[in-house]
Parts: sequence; structure tokens; C-alpha cells
Amino acid sequence: MPRFFYQKLALNNLKKNSQTYRAYLLTCIGTICMYFIMHAISVNEALNQMSGGTELKVLLFFGVIVIAIFSTIFLLYTNSFLIKRRKKEFGLFNILGMEKRHLAKIMFWETLFIALLGLTVGIISGMILSKLMFLVLLKLIAFNVPLAFEIPFSSISTSVALFGGIFALSLFYNLGQIQLAKPIELLRSEQMGEREPKTKWLLILIGAISLGAGYYIALITESPLQAFSRFFLAVLLVMVGTYSLFTAGSVGILKLLRSNKEFYYQPRHFTAISGLLFRMKQNAVGLANICILSTAVLVTLSTTFALYVGVEDQLRNRFPRSIEIKVYDVENVDVGTIRSQAFSILEQHDLQPQESVDFRDLTITVAQEGDSFLVGREYFSDFSPNVGFLSFLNLADYQRIVNKPLSLEEDEIILCSDNSYPYETLTVLERTFTVKDHSAPFTGHLDSFNNYSVIVKDLEILEELRQAQAKVYGESASSFTHYLGFELDSSPKQELEIYEEMRASIGAPPISIKSRAAERDSFYMLYGGLFFIGIFLGTLFVMGTVLIIYYKQITEGYDDQKRFAIMQQVGMGQEEVKKTIRSQVLMVFFLPLVTAGIHILFAFKMITRLLMVFNLTNVQLFAWCCLGTFVVFALFYGLVYSLTARVYYKIVSV
Amino acid sequence: MHILEVNNLKKVYTTRFGSHKVQALSNVSFSVEKGEYVAIMGESGSGKTTLLNILAALDKPTSGEVLLNGKNLAEISEREISAFRRDNLGFVFQDFNLLDTFSIQDNIFLPLVLAGESHLEMNKRLLPIARQLGITPIINKYPYEVSGGEKQRAAVARALITRPQLVLADEPTGALDSKATASLLRLFTEINEQGQTILMVTHSTQAAAHAKRVLFIKDGEVFHQLYKTSLSTEEMYQKISDTLTTIATGGERHA
Repeated sequence: MPRFFYQKLALNNLKKNSQTYRAYLLTCIGTICMYFIMHAISVNEALNQMSGGTELKVLLFFGVIVIAIFSTIFLLYTNSFLIKRRKKEFGLFNILGMEKRHLAKIMFWETLFIALLGLTVGIISGMILSKLMFLVLLKLIAFNVPLAFEIPFSSISTSVALFGGIFALSLFYNLGQIQLAKPIELLRSEQMGEREPKTKWLLILIGAISLGAGYYIALITESPLQAFSRFFLAVLLVMVGTYSLFTAGSVGILKLLRSNKEFYYQPRHFTAISGLLFRMKQNAVGLANICILSTAVLVTLSTTFALYVGVEDQLRNRFPRSIEIKVYDVENVDVGTIRSQAFSILEQHDLQPQESVDFRDLTITVAQEGDSFLVGREYFSDFSPNVGFLSFLNLADYQRIVNKPLSLEEDEIILCSDNSYPYETLTVLERTFTVKDHSAPFTGHLDSFNNYSVIVKDLEILEELRQAQAKVYGESASSFTHYLGFELDSSPKQELEIYEEMRASIGAPPISIKSRAAERDSFYMLYGGLFFIGIFLGTLFVMGTVLIIYYKQITEGYDDQKRFAIMQQVGMGQEEVKKTIRSQVLMVFFLPLVTAGIHILFAFKMITRLLMVFNLTNVQLFAWCCLGTFVVFALFYGLVYSLTARVYYKIVSV
Repeated sequence: MHILEVNNLKKVYTTRFGSHKVQALSNVSFSVEKGEYVAIMGESGSGKTTLLNILAALDKPTSGEVLLNGKNLAEISEREISAFRRDNLGFVFQDFNLLDTFSIQDNIFLPLVLAGESHLEMNKRLLPIARQLGITPIINKYPYEVSGGEKQRAAVARALITRPQLVLADEPTGALDSKATASLLRLFTEINEQGQTILMVTHSTQAAAHAKRVLFIKDGEVFHQLYKTSLSTEEMYQKISDTLTTIATGGERHA
């Protein structure tokens, strides 16, 4: 046997199948490169030097895991496609006298070549790009100190190990495929007769119900915490719905169309309906995959994008004032001293407190049931959707803040709730209050959702409430807190200095001080990091989608080749054939995209509620982000379509 | 009246850069009368398929002309050629060429659907043909569910349903067992007796023996022809065999 026989044969095979292997190799390089970059950044020593760097590392590590999982799935999927196409080739080798162990040798060399090329190019491009990506990440998390970036050796070794493992797995899969098959089956494997798909009414019903239920949940969910707990259920339902409707529903509709004879026996409909009917059988799962992936890309990108763009909004919602000082033990700490100490620090910086808010309150943990607020452990767990806080203030403090004379009766309250509380009364701790004003313009010290600031007549009522809840909660009961908050008209840098000085002089327990400027970094760190991962995963998902589409097109091309020829012989014009196939392919192609768009539309409200948990309340911003991502994605999708369509025509018109 | 006239047909295949020239047909002339049943015989590579492709307007000759019903195929524009093929020609192929995404009935309807016939008309035409070809019981099955012989009969039905001037059959018995072959050939004779013109390309002596006239092609030319006239199929078979032996051993041209 000539030297390097198997190696040469393997190389030759790859060259011969370059139309399909080129895309596979590109995907290998792409996934390896992305994995490498993410890993290199996540383990980088430089991140340890910044505050919040460890949290960011955890986030990035999560990204590494997701990339690893998806790379495995994508590459194995692609490989299974490739080997299916090549069974005939191997069958021929087998019949020409090659034993299966010879085939195994060829396959081994092929995989080795692909692996070497993929790993080398992937890791080298990863090395080049990781530095750039690191700078992008630093830019996104608004970190301005230049950091050295070194390429960690562990990134190379884990990339080689992970992707080496994936290549080994695909090789084993391929060997199994060859081992199991008889040569004649290998030769024929692509032309096995196909049965007409049956209409599965039960599956259609299940699909319709779960899709409807998923959409319904998404639409009726009002409270952010509810959205949090129901989101995964809704996602699951929609996924089940998508898969079953794509597989069974499409067949059902097409069969219904076919049973309408007048409609069916028209040149345009005739070939399209029957072609789609069979095509849906082979491709429904693939199309549903594309649809789910596209939806995932769109949701990931638009939410992380919105969170990142809206980071200042969130900061303002979470920290309504530049500096917030909370005194927890008002009995033993003189609030007046604290206040004057704080203000004197401001004076040293030539600053005045602005929009200063100064009050004493009692915050009680409650579970809301309509207009009554239940107090007690037994009414809620940590993640109950109806759990919230009531912050009680007395009228005197409130009048001072809003600078307006107001009066309240013993059983009257003012509720600061931006109109989200529809009831006329409020019952808590066996007292029922009449709500005199539902929408007092006041932001206390709590987040916006599920929490209300309640103004009562005087300190006596506050004290009664305090004693009542102390009986229920015992050890963990709340006591009075004094809150002092104000805006500062200064640079973030100066704000940070003031915050540090205040913390040094008065910031010891039971006093806590928070500064918006100090939190800004961690916000950017979190949301910048999330956005970074979002872009990465988005790109990965898009790559996966593109790949599935590409291979789908090629498979269909080979299937249509014969059909195309027959129809021409029977008397269909070349232009007509092209038109029919195009409209058919177009429909198959854009069905997942349109469905993904519909999913997003229904999910929109629920996602806005979810974003509220992250203090992002700007619905309009999110809408723009969604639209933007969708348009970009659709453009990309269309581009891929036209590129693959060209390959497809090349195959078909042979 | 000539239904098909082939004059001095020549076809030369050239490789992409013109370095190699292969002459598939050098000079073919013959004509087919209305109601005739003609078989064209020749070995592999003798130019049979090329000839059939040109007759079907799927390929263009290098020189020479083909007249179908007096109309020159070369003069039909690219745009009209599909409709022309659909209306005037019926095809039967060796490997049936049924589309497996259609039921047998829809496969037969395909040319009519393309022609824009109404569903009512399609049904009206299908019934007698299906009865004659004995495919009524399998009409709603799919190609992969029926035997080779049934597939070929379905393909014949598809060729006949447009009521074509000429049925072109390319090795129609090539993929059939002997029983199915015999039944198909009987069917061809029967159809021909009802007035259908048939042109069949084959290298099966048995198939050719059923035709009324046999043309032999060798090296791209019509080498010889035989008329069945009053001969029985068995006698014709013998005659064809003899002729083939003569051709194979390098006999003189008789055409």
C-alpha cells in the first residue's frame, strides 16, 4: 500500500465534500474561538483587581459553561448531518473492498485533520480576538483603568480538551453508524421511501393548548415577582406548543388544504402543498429548533441590551437619592447629631443637600390579599409573588417633606402607590384604614413594586402598629428606622469622596449609608457583564441557527434535484419549477422567524415585568431594544437565506 | 401523414474547453407515421438516449431538424417549450420517475394540473385510463407502496392522460421483472391498437419484438430497420436477434 494512503484518502474526501465540510469547519473554528475567548477572559487575573470582579467572573464562568454545552450540541448535530450525507460514499468504499476497519482508519484521519485545523485556527484567532474582547468588556462595564491582559495557558488546554472530546465523540458516533450498517444499506440509505405523515390530532390539541396557556400566562401576569416565578413555566409551555404545532399542526393544516380539491388542483398549490407536507415531516423538528433558538437569541439580546442601556434608570429607581442614610436604632442614636455631622461633611465640599427627605418609618413585611395585608410568617415564603413591604410614616414628617398642610382622621391614610392600589380601604394588623389619597407623589426608601408607603395620622398609631407586629414576629420584628436622603449637585467622583468620608465618620452600625455613585460601578459591572455574555451567546445561537438553516437548504436541494428534473420532463417550465421551489423554501425558511416574532410579542409584557425586578421600568426603551434586535436579526437571517439559497440553486439546477 | 420527422440529426458533445469532441449522433433520419409503434434499438452508447432527449426537446441537436406534426422543435421558444412538451408528448421512463410526494392519482394528474385543467375534467379522463391500465385499486396509494409494474403502469397513465400526439418510452421495461414486462408490453400493443403513436427506445429484444417497426442505431446512425408486418412476435424476436448478431459481428449497413 502506498505511503500515507489513508491520510491522503482522508484529505481527498474532505476536499471532495468541501461544500458541506467548509461550513462544518467554520463552525468548529467559530465555537472554539468563542469558547477560548470567554474562557480566557473569565479566568483572567486582571479581573481580580477590580471591585466586584469576582461576581463578574462567576457570570463569565456561567457563559463559559453555556458555550461549552451549546458547542457540543451544535457540533454533534452538524456531524450527524454530515455522516448521513456520506453513507453512500462509505458504502461504495465498502463494496469496493474496504473493510470497516479501513473505513474507521479513514474516518479517524479525517476527524484528526478537521480537529487539528479547527483547534489551531480557532485558538489562534481566539488569542488575537480575546485581547480585543477584553477591552470591549472593560468598556461595557465602564472600567477605565487599563489592565494587562495575558492569555492563560489553561484556556488553551481546556479548549483542546473540550473540543478534542467533542471530536472524539463525533468520531465514535460515526464509527457506530458505519459499524451497524450493511454495505447495501449504506448505499441506499438516502433513498428509503417515505411514508406520508399522519395527522396527529392529539398532538395538535396538546400543542394548541400549551401554546395558548403559555401566551395566556404571559398576558395575565401583572406582578413582577409573579412574572419571575411563572416565566419558566410559560417558556416551557410555549416550547411544547411550538414543537407540537410545528410537527403536527403544519401537517394538519396542509392536509386540510389538500382535501379541498378545487384549491389543491391548481398549478401553484399542487406541488407546494404536497412538497411542504413531506418536507414538514423531515424538517418540523429542525424548524422548531430554529424557532426556539431565534426566540432565545432575541430575548437574550434584547433584555441584556435594554438592561445595559437602561442602567442609569435602574440606578435611579433602586437608589432614588444620591446619598441615603438609614438609622436603625432610633432609641439609642441621636438622629440630630448624625444629620449635622453629615451636613458638615457636605459643607466642607461646598455643597448643599437638595430635595432632602427626612422621616421616621416602620417597615413591616406583609403578604397582600386584595385590600388586606397579612402579617405573619405563615402567610408567605421568600419567593411568594404577593410578599411586599409597607412603610408607615406619620403625617407630620410627610407634611414637612411635601411642604403642604394636610389633615388625616384616626382611621384615614394616604397611600403612595402611583395608582396601582385599586381598593378603598386597607386592612393590616386588625385595623382597617380608609384610603384618602391613592396616589401621593412620594418616593420613600423602598423599590417600586409590591411596596407601599403609608401615611398615618400620628406617632401613636405608628407605635400601636409597631407593638402589634412585634407580637407576631417576636425576635425578628421591625423597629423604627430613621431615613435621611438627599440629592447632590456634584460630580460622581466628588460624590464618592463624600460617601467615603461619611462612612468613615458615621457609617458604623446601626447606621447604614448608601451612595448611588458607589453602586454605579457594580451596576455597570453586572449589566455590562450580562450584555457582554448576551452578545456572545447571541452570536453563538445565531451561528447555530445559521448552520441548521444552511444544512437544511443543502439537504432539500439534493432532495429537490430529482423532483426538479421529473417535473421538467412532465412539462413544467424551468421558471415555474424555480418559482414553486422558491416559494416553498421561502415559507419554510421564514416560518420560524415569524413565529419567533409572535412569541416575542406575547412575551413582551411578561419580560417588562421581569425587568422591573431589576428596577428597569422603561417599557419604551425595552420596546425599542426588542425592535432593534429583531430587525438586525431578521436582516442577518435574510442574508443567510440568500447566501444559502444560491448554494441551493446550484445543487438543484445541475 | 408523418407525425414525426427527423432529418439529418447530428449531435456533438464538446467538453468545456473544446478539447474533446464526442459525436453521439452523426446522421440520423427517419419518420414516424400516425398510429405507428416504433422501437429504436441499439447498444449502450449508440446514441439512443441522446436521440430521445432531442425528440423530447430536452436537448438541442448540433445540426439537423425534428418536426413534430410539421412543427420544427427548434423554432419553439424556450418559454413555450414546456407547454408544448406537456400538450404533445407523453413520457415513460425506465425508472418510472414518479414523485414520491404525490399519490398515484396525483402523479397522473400532474401534467393536467400544470396545464390548468379543472378537477372535474381530470377525474373524467382518469377513470377510463385507470380502468384500462388496471390501476384503479391503487389510485390512492403512494409510489413506495406499490410494485414496479404498478408504478410503470401509473407512469403510462400519466403519459396518456394528456392525450399526446406521441408517447416516448425510454427503456420502459428496464426495471421490471418478466411478468410485469410482458404485461406492460401487452398494454403498449393495446394502446397502439387504439391509435396511439408510440416511439420506444430499448435494448430489450423482447420489448422491440412487440413493435411494428424496429430501427437499429449504431455509432450514431440508423443502421438498419425491420418491419413486423404480418410476423408473429416470436418470429420478429428471431429476426431482431439475427440482426443484432449481424450488427455485433460487423455486418454491412442496410438502412
